[in-house]
Parts: sequence; C-alpha cells; structure tokens
Amino acid sequence: MRYFWGRVGLFVLTLWAAVTLNFILPRLMPGSPADAAIAKLSQNGPVSPAMRASIEAQLGVPSGSVWSQYLSYLGQVVHFDFGVSYSYFPQPVSSLIGAALPWTLVLVGSVTVIAFVVGTLLGVVAAWRRGTVLDTVPTVGGQFLSAFPYFWIALLLLFFLGYVAGWFPTSGAYSQTATPNWSLSFFGDALDHAILPGLTILITSFGGWIIGMRNTMVNTLGEDYVTFAEANGLRPRSVAMRYAARNALLPQFTSFGMVLGGVVGGSLLVETVFAYPGVGLLLFHAVTNQDYPLMQALFLIITVSVLIANFLVDILYGVLDPRTRQ
Amino acid sequence: MNKSRARSRALVAVVSAASLLALSACSVHTSSSGGSSGTTASGSLLFGADGGNPTFVRDFNPFSSNARTGAHYMYEPLEVVNSIEDKATPWLATGDKVVDPTTIQYTIRQGVKWSDGKPFSASDVVYTFDLIKKNPALDTLGQWQSISSVSASGDTVTFHLNGPDVPDATIIDQQIIVPQHIWQNVSDPVTWADPNPVATGPYVVGSFAPNEYTMKKNTSYWQADKVAAETLVLPASNTPLQLVKNGYDWAYSFIDNVDTTWVGANKQHNTYWFPPGGTIALLPNLTKAPFNNVDFRRGLSEALNRNTIATDAEEGYVKAAGQSGLLLPNQQSWLNPALPDQGLISQDTKQALQDFAKAGYSSKGGKLVGPSGAQLHLTITTANGYTDWLRGVQAVQSQLQALGIAVTIDQPQPAAYTQAENNGDFDLLMGAFGGSGSVYQDFNTLMSSGFAKPVGTAASGNFERFNDAQADQLLGQLKSATSVGDQQKIVDQLQQLMYDQVPVVSLFYGGLWGLFSDKSFTGWPSADDPYATPATWTENSLLILTHLKKAS
Amino acid sequence: MTTTTDPVTPDPPVIEGRGNPLRVVARAIGTIWSEPKARFGVILLTAFILLALFAPLIAPYDPHDGSFPHSQDGSAAHLLGTTGVGQDVLSQLIWGARVSVSVALIAGLLATLVAIAVGLSWGYVRAFWGEAVGFIVNLFLVIPSLPLMIVIAAYLHSGGLAVIVLVVVVTGWAWGARVLRSQTQTLRSRDFVTAAKFSGESPSRIVFREIMPNMTSLIVASFFGAATAAILAEAGLEFLGLGDPNTVSWGTMLFWAQNSNVLLTGQWVQLFAPGFMIALFAVSMTFINFGVDGLSNPRLRERTAKR
Repeated sequence: MRYFWGRVGLFVLTLWAAVTLNFILPRLMPGSPADAAIAKLSQNGPVSPAMRASIEAQLGVPSGSVWSQYLSYLGQVVHFDFGVSYSYFPQPVSSLIGAALPWTLVLVGSVTVIAFVVGTLLGVVAAWRRGTVLDTVPTVGGQFLSAFPYFWIALLLLFFLGYVAGWFPTSGAYSQTATPNWSLSFFGDALDHAILPGLTILITSFGGWIIGMRNTMVNTLGEDYVTFAEANGLRPRSVAMRYAARNALLPQFTSFGMVLGGVVGGSLLVETVFAYPGVGLLLFHAVTNQDYPLMQALFLIITVSVLIANFLVDILYGVLDPRTRQ
Repeated sequence: MNKSRARSRALVAVVSAASLLALSACSVHTSSSGGSSGTTASGSLLFGADGGNPTFVRDFNPFSSNARTGAHYMYEPLEVVNSIEDKATPWLATGDKVVDPTTIQYTIRQGVKWSDGKPFSASDVVYTFDLIKKNPALDTLGQWQSISSVSASGDTVTFHLNGPDVPDATIIDQQIIVPQHIWQNVSDPVTWADPNPVATGPYVVGSFAPNEYTMKKNTSYWQADKVAAETLVLPASNTPLQLVKNGYDWAYSFIDNVDTTWVGANKQHNTYWFPPGGTIALLPNLTKAPFNNVDFRRGLSEALNRNTIATDAEEGYVKAAGQSGLLLPNQQSWLNPALPDQGLISQDTKQALQDFAKAGYSSKGGKLVGPSGAQLHLTITTANGYTDWLRGVQAVQSQLQALGIAVTIDQPQPAAYTQAENNGDFDLLMGAFGGSGSVYQDFNTLMSSGFAKPVGTAASGNFERFNDAQADQLLGQLKSATSVGDQQKIVDQLQQLMYDQVPVVSLFYGGLWGLFSDKSFTGWPSADDPYATPATWTENSLLILTHLKKAS
Repeated sequence: MTTTTDPVTPDPPVIEGRGNPLRVVARAIGTIWSEPKARFGVILLTAFILLALFAPLIAPYDPHDGSFPHSQDGSAAHLLGTTGVGQDVLSQLIWGARVSVSVALIAGLLATLVAIAVGLSWGYVRAFWGEAVGFIVNLFLVIPSLPLMIVIAAYLHSGGLAVIVLVVVVTGWAWGARVLRSQTQTLRSRDFVTAAKFSGESPSRIVFREIMPNMTSLIVASFFGAATAAILAEAGLEFLGLGDPNTVSWGTMLFWAQNSNVLLTGQWVQLFAPGFMIALFAVSMTFINFGVDGLSNPRLRERTAKR
C-alpha cells in the first residue's frame, strides 16, 4: 500500500509539473497570437495598418500578469475549460479537440494495437525458430523498415498508391461531401481514408515489437525453468508458448503501455502529410500559429495520457514483480 | 497463473479484433477508386479558394479573419475596387461624389434585396458603419480613423471626414454592408459565426460538410442575369497535386513549373495569370547606422541584380521591381516619366562600391570594411517557411557576399517575424508593401512618419521608420487634392523621393497566383483584360463571378 | 514516434570481466563482426563516414552552386538532376552527409552522455534523490518530444545546427537514462559492488569505475539508438521547416523537395534520394545493434537454437 500511495504522490507531482511546463512553454515562443494571425494573412499580400489594428482588437494580448494568467489557467485545467482558440477564433478549444481526438485515437490507436500484436507474434515465431528464414526475414525486414523516416514513407505511399495508382484517397479522414455519422457507408469511407496513414504507422512501427519480443524471449528460452520443462519431456511448442512467450510478454506490455500513452502526441507528421483531421495536425497548427489556449490543452491531454499510461504500468509492475517494490 | 490465463485470453480477443479490422480493410481497398470531389455537373465551378485547417468550421462572419472565404461571395461592398486598374466599380452604391475634401456622398442602389427577401436600404449602410464603430475589432479597413460621422437621407449616405481626405473614398468603397434586421439581434458580432448569412450577393450557402461546401446561386440577386455559375464547389484541401489532378475551374495557388504542371494537365483549357499584388523589398532599419545613411542604401540598391533575385524567388513568374514605389504595370498611368528606365535599377557594382565608400565602407583585401576596420556584417530577417522569400534572400546574400559583405540570414517563425517587423527589431527585413489599389494608401503606409513608432514599440506601417518632412508634406497635399492633374504632380514627387532617398530597396513583385480553366466557363481576367485580380479572398471575386460566361 | 523501443533486453547478464581493456574491446569488435547483420551495418556506417569526410572530393559540384539549368531531370552531367534553383542534386546528397551524419553522431553522443550521467547516478542513489531524479526523467519522458522540439526550435530561431543538436539532446536523453538506470539497479546488488563498497570506495568511483564498465554494450546500444533517433528527429524537424534551410543536409533537401512539389513536377528522385540515405544511415546503426545485443547477451549471439 505504501508503494501505491508513493506512486500516486509522484503521479500528482509530475502532473502538476507537466501542467506548469505546458503553461510556460508556449509563452517562451516569441510573437503574440495577433502577430501570428497577421503573418498568416500577409502570405496573401501586404496587410494594411487597419487590418492589423482590427486583428489586435479581436485577439488582443493575453491580459493580466503572467501570475494571474497562470492561476486562471490552473482553474481552467481543473474545470476542463480551455477557453477560446486564437487561430480558430471564435471556436472553443474543447470543441476543436472533441472533433479531432476520435480520429487520432481510432486511427493511431488501432494501428498501434495491430502493430503490437503482429510484431509480438512474429517476434515469438522468430525466437522460437531462431536462425531460420522465419527469424531473419521479419527481424531484419522489420528493423529495416523502422529505420525509415516516417513522413517520408507517408509521402511515398501518398504519391505512388494515392496519386499514381489511384487506389486510395489522398487526404482527409472521409470523402469531400461526407459528414461524419454512424452509418455503415461512412464507416467504410473513413476506413478507406485511414488505410494510407495507418499503413505508414504500421510499416514503421512493427519492427520494434518484433525485435523486443524476440530478444526477451530468446532470454527466457535460456532460463532454467524452460530447460527444466524441456528436460521433463514437454513438447517444444508448448514450452515455447506457455512458458517462454508468456514470461517474455511482461516487458513487452510495459513498452506497449508507454506507446499507447504516446498515441495522441505521436501522430503529428503522418497527420500533417495526409491532412488527417486529428490532434497531431491540430497541434502543429496551434504551435505554428501561437495559439496558446489550444496548445496548452493539447499538451495537457498528451502529457496526461502518457502519465496515466506510465502510472498504470508502474502499478502493474508493482503488482506483478514484487522485486521492484523494495 | 490465473491472472496470466486471463491475460492471454484478452490477447486473443485483441488479435481477432485486429485481424477483423485488417480483413475489412482489405475488402475496402479493392473496391476503392481514388475518390475525388471533382463534381462536373453542368454549371458548377470547382473552386480552389478556401482551405480547411484541415477541415472547415462553419463560420461566415465576414469581418472575421478566420471566416470561410465564401463570405466574400455573399456580402457586398458599396463599390468593388479593382487594384489592378485602380478603378472602382459601383456596386451597392451607384456612385460616389466628393462634395469637398472632407465630405463624400454615396447614392445607394435601388431594388436590391437581402437574400431573405427584405429590401436593402441606406439605413443598412449607416447601421453597418455604426456597428464597426462600436466594435473596433470589426473595422478591418480602419474606417473610423478618418470618418467623423455618417448620415442617410433618402438614398443618399453622407460621410463627414475628420479632415481633408479625398483618398478615403477608396476605403469607404470597400466596406461590406450587413443587414440591420439580422445583425441588430446578434449579442456579440465579433464572435458570432453567422452560419447562414443573409446578404445581398450572388451566392448563398448550399451544402456544408467539413471537407467541402457548396454555394448556390442567389436567384433573387440584383444582377442575377450576370451570374453564370449555378454552384460553387469549395473543397477544404487544394494541394497542387489535387489542383492538377481534379480539374479545377479556378484556383488560387502558387504552383511549380506552371507550364508543365497546370497547363500541361489540360493544354486545351488551362491558363494562368500572375499579376503583381505587392512589392517585395528589403526594409533597412533607418534608425540604425549604417542604414540611416542614404549613400549606404543606394550602394545596397546598386549592388543587387534584381532579375536573378526575382527568378530565384518565384521561378521567373514575376518581374524585378523598380524603385518608383509603384506596382507596375498596374499603376503604369501614375509613373513619373522623369525616372530613368521606369525606375528600374540595374546592378552596378562599381557604383555600389563608390557609394559604400561615401558611407565609410571601402574594399580591403576582398572585404568591405567599415571605419572601425571590421568587415561589414548584415543580418537579413525573413519569415521561416516563406520559401520564395528565402530563395530571394539567398540570392541577395550571394550577391552582397561577392562585394565582400558578410550576410547572415535570420528566419524567425512567422509570428516572431511579425513581431520583429512591428517593433523595428531588425537590420534588414524582407517585407512587402503596396497593392492596396490606391496610390495614396500605398505611399502613405510606406512613408508616412505617422506610422513610424520608436524602435521597441509596435508600428502598423512604415516599418523601416522613414521620417521625412517632405514626404509627410506631399502625403498631406495628396490627401486633399481633388483633381487628377494635381494628384499626378504630387505622386511624381513621391516617386522621385522614393527613388532618391531609397527608404526601402524594392526587389521584385509578389505575384497573385491565378489558375483558370475555360473548360466550363470563359471570361477569366488576364493581362489583356485585367478587369479584376485573381485574388479569391476579397470582394474582388465578385467582379469575376459576375463576368464569367458558360463555355459553349 | 509511435514506438521508442530500443533493442535492449531488460535484464542482461554481466559478461565482461575486468580484464585488459584492449582485449575486451578486441573481443567486443570480434563479437560484433561475427554477426553478419552487424558486419553489414559497420561497413555501411563506415561508408557514410567516409562519404561525409571526403565529400569535397567525391561531389562533382559545389552544393550551393545554382548556376545550372533549373529543375532538370537526371542526365550525364547531373545524375540526379537539378533543383528548382539550379543546384546539383547529387552534390547536395553527398555534402548533405556531412551535416546529417555529424548531427546524428554528435547528438547521439551527447544524449548518451547525459543518459549515462543521469541513469547511473539515478540507479545508484536511493530514497529521496532517487525519487527526485526519477521525477525529472519522467517529466522529460511524458512531454511529447516532437511538439517540444517544435516549440524549442521556434524559440531558438536561426541557431542552425547547434539548435537542432540541442533540441534532439534535450528531448532524447530520458529514455536511455531509464534503461541504464534499471541495469544499474540490477548490478548494484551484485557481489563485486558490495565488495567495492566494503573496501571504502567512493560512490562515484563505484558507479563509474565498477558498474559502468559492465554496461559498455548497453551504453553502445543506447548510443546507436540515440543516434538513430537523432537522425530521424533532425529530418523531421528540417522537413517541417524548423531547421536552417540554408544548410545542405538530407532533411533540408526533403524540405525543399516537398516545397517545390517535386512529386508534381515528376522529379521525385529529389524526395526519394535523401529519404533513402537517412533510412540507410539509420539502418546501418540498427544493424550494428544486432551485434551489440549479442555482446551484452550471449544467448542472442548463439547461432543455432536448441529445441
């Protein structure tokens, strides 16, 4: 129990520090939200002095001292009220995030699960059939693919499968005229649009799971209890699956927890390339447009989800492996 | 052991869900067919004018800088200003009259209806001006900086100005008018999203989806007979690849190798027109040495080969800019004939070195050294991500380096760049001026000491902080000159001043990137028929939308 | 960005004795070399380093020289064509190795040094200080690294490569620190550490003289892991336009290629080539790690599995 409360205390402390850091970071960036809006307009041509004045009147500068801004920000965080976005003025931050989050969660979340499952299974096979083609091809191939910059993979897929072959839609999460709803046809449409970005993430991420699982399992296959089980005449297949693979899964799940927490923040580049309306793209937009309220809220969601995943993994470890509780 | 069994069952569940997902993914993949929006129904115009971020928010508030571009095809101004010809076309007003330099009268058009059927009247005009007075955030044109009062009698609206200000008519012209009977019930017009605008213009909102919206022709439009396109289709994503592939009718976009990409996609129909929309220039910080020395600025100007800079920056789509301060050929009629070579400065490194020497910088061992004996070191600030400007700055850099000047390029993010520009926190800044459609506004924003704020205080114009008594005097005279002849004399002197004093070093013209296809509609603006600019985000588009004809 | 899995086993046994360091190194190199994948990685990495070192001799032109015809397809004079402002793509690719390879190696090295310093002391100290360090490391682990990079890069504009290195180091050391810490914790209870403690050695000496040499392979592995992450992060930042587009590196080449829409103009080689170089470079390092894994863990080294 002491272990548990210690973890909780640390969790709360880290949460506070992360929240505070989220407040400070955007304010370190030079230029105000109005400056960013003017810069955006000036890409079309010179911005008149009157236009500049009206934008400053519209967006204003964050009022009050930094300290009072900080206090009101903490209040907002507690109430999950993040105010109005600057760059999408006058849209409230919460509705922007509410619209973007499901897309990222579903796309990146499900692809992460697929990558984990496929990678882990291939890793088990690789470890069990070590030195054979079943080992070399997935391990080497996976490592090879995971070394590719993933926005680059995204661009190539976009170009060759999207434009040249014309097999898949090239931007967005659903077709031009569709409005999100719960119909089957919309689901199919959304799935169609998710394939290229999903494939990109899958290609570049499953290699890590293979190698992780394979190496841990090779280790466990050498442990005494496995040797003992083999000596007792159990079938090699059941030794591999029931003893070695099962025990090797623990560290694998640890990484999985971490990665799942990182889903929200990890999709920025892919979403940017595919104009996928998720939080990654929203975040990039917020950062490049000096949108403090939006940036703060997104950073908060990302850090909190990683924190929670970390916390759960910590607790899980404490439960499963008594040694860490010392 | 129990626990771990439960875990592995959970794992199996995950696996089967995943494989299900993968399976269904496969089935869709074979039946999919590239999916594009290129609706080619007759009378509809595929329009690359509005970009989602990445999807559309339904906001048609015409005063908001984040509003859908479609707002500008619904709300109309008193007169539409074509910045190419410096000419105003009567619109909701049938004309204006400068009664005296402090009074301007507009006659309001009769028979115009709002899209909900209510009649449009002079009181809507007065209401709109009151509205933007109460809410400065809506006053995007700065009307109330020069207006003192607005009043209506019958179909005449009279504007009294704070002082003599003839050029202000161009600003009043451009004010879009909103219906009083709708907007008076809006609690906060600044944050109102105006999802279903009631306006006077040629279009009303049709369907609206996050990735695309359409606009339908307003059948009760006051000049409905001139509107050829029944529907405008505006997708949220208009990448160059999509423009080329999906067969757009009209798009505003910089596109590389336009002749092979855009024109090449449909040689028979696709055309483009890239008229200048502003002048890109190096703004020296005139509060600092050596930039406050006119000889130094001349040296800088003569050291540059503007043709190379223009070609590097914009792939040869635009021309090098002269030092007259005018946007050519748009403002050709204002050009001072006394300026040599239409104000163009050609590269003359010998002359440049002489002028640098006058300013105290001489060439030693291949380096340009100042009075202190140290090499001249300049920093050019340009916004990160404006890659065309960066290409131009890189060309400037290599040309100045050839003269022995060390040049660093500073590229803050756009917001930080704007802050540096406003606060005068730069040596040399890549910036833009002009293009407002009014010679007075162009020169005033560039040279009036009224805009020049001390370094560290945000300015909204004259970022180089030019402070010249003659310029101020000329601008004051131009403000009250009513005859074109008088105006021309003053504009001539302003050009001469710009040429001699070099407050900024003009480099090249920034283009307006109009891509057109006459597959479905003809009558697009062009160099031969410059009745409008290709800009899609202002009321200028009304000129085009009421000018198009269906292709036979 | 989705997975940060380092090919590191959680609990590798201590294998290196404290013998003659030269012999240890020789044996280590021998172990790496005996693994064909790692051998391939070493050869590839060496090739990249040579390419970077001798770029001026190998490249046909100056990478900044924009005097060639613009946007040319590949030809005998310009094997990979020219850019939108008339620079030779092949020369840029070769010179780009200099910046990209050195940023990756320097950033990887610095991140590893920070990870060693933090991870080892964190693993050794207990109670309050352990929690305090853990708190900071966790903080760096939970802050989303790419957005953090963007914010830092935006703040420190125009600092060029130093900024990229800094950004990559600041956001890249925490993972390694965590891995090294758990290994230190394991080793802390081993007999030779206890013996050193009783013989009165100072904690810093125990950590860096007794424990650290036993983690060489893990440190090498985390260096290559960090360097791989660094080159990918560098490319991502530069691709988003947050680097210095004036320098010639693979990331800025990708940025310019994307900006001049090479996919549209048909010069997709300009996008393909630098991305492929980045990938190959990253591959060389991940493959070396195959051998390094074998170094730390003899079980991974065995060629034939027993059934």
